[in-house]
Amino acid sequence: MGNYSMIGHSVPQIDARDKVRGMTEFVSDLQLPGMLYGKILRSSYPHARILHIDSSKARRLKGVKAVVTAEDTPRVPFGPRTEDWTILAVDKVRFVGDEVAAVAAVDEETAEEALDLIRVEYEELPAVFDPIEAMQPGAPLIHGKERNIVSEFQLNKGDIERAFQECAVVYSAHYFTNQVYQAYLEPMACVVQCDPSGRLTFYLATQIPSMTRITYAKALGLPLEKIRVVVPPYGGAFGAKMETNLHLAGAILSQKTQKPVRMVNNREEDFMAGNPRVPMYIDLKVGASQQGKLIAKEVKIIGASGARAVYSMAIVATACYRVDSLYRFEHLRTEGVTVYTNTVPTSCFRGFGNAQMTFALESTLDMIAEALKMDPAELRIKNGLKTGEVSIHGWQIGSSGLEECVQKAVEASGWKRKREEKRFGHGIGLACCNHVSGNRAFSREFDGGAGIVRIGREGKVLVYHGESDMGQGQKTVFAQIVAEELGVGLDRIEVAQVDTDLSPFGMGSFATRGTVFGGNGVKAAARHAKEQLCEIAAELFETVPSQLELREGKISVIGEPERSLSFEKVVEIGVLRRGGAPIVGTGFWVPDTVLPDPITKYGNISPAYPFACQIAEVEVDTETGHVTVLQYTAAHDVGKAVNPMAIEGQIEGGVVQGIGWALMENMVVEKGKVLNPDFRDYVMPGPLDIPPIHSFLVEPVDPNGPFGAKGIGEPALNPSTAAVANAIYDAIGIRFTELPITPEKILRALKDHQKNK
Amino acid sequence: MIYPMKLTVNDELIELEVPAHRTLLEVLRNDLGLKGTKEGCGAGECGACTVLLDDEPVNACLILALQADGKRVTTIEGLSKGSNLHAIQEAFIRHGAIQCGFCTPGMILSAKALLERTPNPTEKEVRRSLVGNFCRCTGYQKIVEAILSLAKRGDG
Repeated sequence: MGNYSMIGHSVPQIDARDKVRGMTEFVSDLQLPGMLYGKILRSSYPHARILHIDSSKARRLKGVKAVVTAEDTPRVPFGPRTEDWTILAVDKVRFVGDEVAAVAAVDEETAEEALDLIRVEYEELPAVFDPIEAMQPGAPLIHGKERNIVSEFQLNKGDIERAFQECAVVYSAHYFTNQVYQAYLEPMACVVQCDPSGRLTFYLATQIPSMTRITYAKALGLPLEKIRVVVPPYGGAFGAKMETNLHLAGAILSQKTQKPVRMVNNREEDFMAGNPRVPMYIDLKVGASQQGKLIAKEVKIIGASGARAVYSMAIVATACYRVDSLYRFEHLRTEGVTVYTNTVPTSCFRGFGNAQMTFALESTLDMIAEALKMDPAELRIKNGLKTGEVSIHGWQIGSSGLEECVQKAVEASGWKRKREEKRFGHGIGLACCNHVSGNRAFSREFDGGAGIVRIGREGKVLVYHGESDMGQGQKTVFAQIVAEELGVGLDRIEVAQVDTDLSPFGMGSFATRGTVFGGNGVKAAARHAKEQLCEIAAELFETVPSQLELREGKISVIGEPERSLSFEKVVEIGVLRRGGAPIVGTGFWVPDTVLPDPITKYGNISPAYPFACQIAEVEVDTETGHVTVLQYTAAHDVGKAVNPMAIEGQIEGGVVQGIGWALMENMVVEKGKVLNPDFRDYVMPGPLDIPPIHSFLVEPVDPNGPFGAKGIGEPALNPSTAAVANAIYDAIGIRFTELPITPEKILRALKDHQKNK
Repeated sequence: MIYPMKLTVNDELIELEVPAHRTLLEVLRNDLGLKGTKEGCGAGECGACTVLLDDEPVNACLILALQADGKRVTTIEGLSKGSNLHAIQEAFIRHGAIQCGFCTPGMILSAKALLERTPNPTEKEVRRSLVGNFCRCTGYQKIVEAILSLAKRGDG
């Protein structure tokens, strides 16, 4: 193992040359003949009944081609999880930003002008914005569900009461993780084209092309084959770009006008009607023995789904129990509630709930370590799951590099020395995390990945997959995997854009699943193509396929390098002998995961579990409350690193998002209205706000990942907020339990702290 | 009102007529089809629309096209000659400074302006020069490394 020509090599993205020249056509750059421009009229009320919509003036405006309201849509309730969506608001609006009407016009300016001409008469309804208030009896009902509860999650193991009594240390705290925005650089966008037969082609920035297709078929009342989804390059997503009514409004406008329609959110719309992170109240109580063995965990989470559930209930569930497979807890009591509020629907953002809970748990563990006078690093190593262990929920840890991650990070950051050199205002903090590479619980139907490899007469290899490259470099990883299998250079490989007419059915890019699922899918396809090439070559060399190898662009008889033909020669001969048929390899990979039991949650939700340890070193200015992150160390168990440079890029980007969340990022929402829907007031880390980030890759070969690889996307961010919070605690002795930890909060806390002294 | 104007875009003199309120970004993207210049916020905050106006980086979304009358504009499309990339483009590729690529054109143009002004920048100077260009994917580190790799060292 390990003598690879492609795997493990740092290579630039295969489309980097286009990107640096500005030649990449992103979704918002697409221009089809006769294309119209769509805009959405959004509610300015958080909760109101629609009494009347008058769009006659808008319709008469020169250049306007269509104005649509719910009347023009099927009005079928739909949604990825709970059927609480309609394409345009029917009868009432439920958040500021809710889609009320849509316009298509010859240009964007005209479309915007038309929006101003639509008159909507509303009757305002009482609204509720906080999930705890929304659960109270008598709170206004948003979808008519009792106490506005979307779903409840419960999971209990062992005897929690007795366990806490027996613990030497018990720490409880109330945490709050706020609502933050993904802030990808390209706002949500699409072009939708309705052809004369009524078939719709969606050019979408979506992480989940095939699942989006299913959801949209239902929303539009169309059979699946009437919908085609194509995924051109798009500008970042971080979880946000899944289903959105923006796409469906585009579809309705295209049906109406029989023209292609482009819809692009402006930045303000993207803030108010995007898909920000699920905010959570987390009550967490953890107990440990005198020896530092973690024994019991009790958690109660209340998460705000906003006005539509989207994936929030699954995110709250993940927050509730994923960390139980990071450490060896024995007794658990878990309660999670997801609640509707009259705010923007919240959903996936890098970490999928695990990021929220990791902040709470890893902050708590530092307090336990302190109470036990134990090194926080040692506490993690002592309790962390190791290779071959099965977690309390049945997760089979095929490989765990957690201990090595902690050791690497501790060593590289100067942890021991810096923990001892106490100086007020200066601190160092550590946090760990686990995650999944794909989540079996996400789709009950199936688990797996697939690929197609098509080699034409000229020897060019075209790879089809059904996932989605949102900019993270997934296509390059797939190209590396196929190139490795076929023994050719990357210049011979192209990765097709996802097109549901051609690509395999893929679940998409979320849950850090791309490398493992898509990678195994295209690997199987490449292997199938390779078998065919070997059969062709075996005939030419009068040998058997097993005696052949593919390396360095050649197919040769093993041990007899003089008996060899170039890859393209074998392809050409094969294609011509087969009447011109290309060499097509199809392959799939179905992992040995186990769907969690609906009640006990016992199962094995992922084929490969990544781990990490991050260490932040901070300086707190006690005059201003400003926190400077001085150094950052991130050690990640990524399995076999397919493309180390790309993985470092993921880590660096994730850490910076995490630092932003820890210290500054916050969607300020007042009475349901986002008060800072722009990049001036929504403060994110810029190039001067961040330290050098030292990444270390820990590479246990995972038994299930392609070439031993695991995912990296989400773990890159999961521990960052807690690492920063723990460093601040080390610096000034104050525990912050609410994100973000702003200078104002620090100053206030320092003042209170002095008063209490 | 529609006004005539002249613009030298990537060394090519262009004469066109534009309404007074049209931004330079709209002219570049919609009238001239130069879509390498991106719109990320429309408010001069993200830097995705950075172009060079008489060699100075500006946010094309904040400038009216008519304000650029008679001036020279360099967009990302003007940086490479045929298949020969500019050294900054090569450095971005080599260092993995690109993820989704939406900020990349603006980043590269900001970097070009910096390196012309300050051929041997410090890391701090590089970071400072990128303050107006947001990147949400990379955490800036590899972008900074790419630009620093081009610093002309050895001149004190």
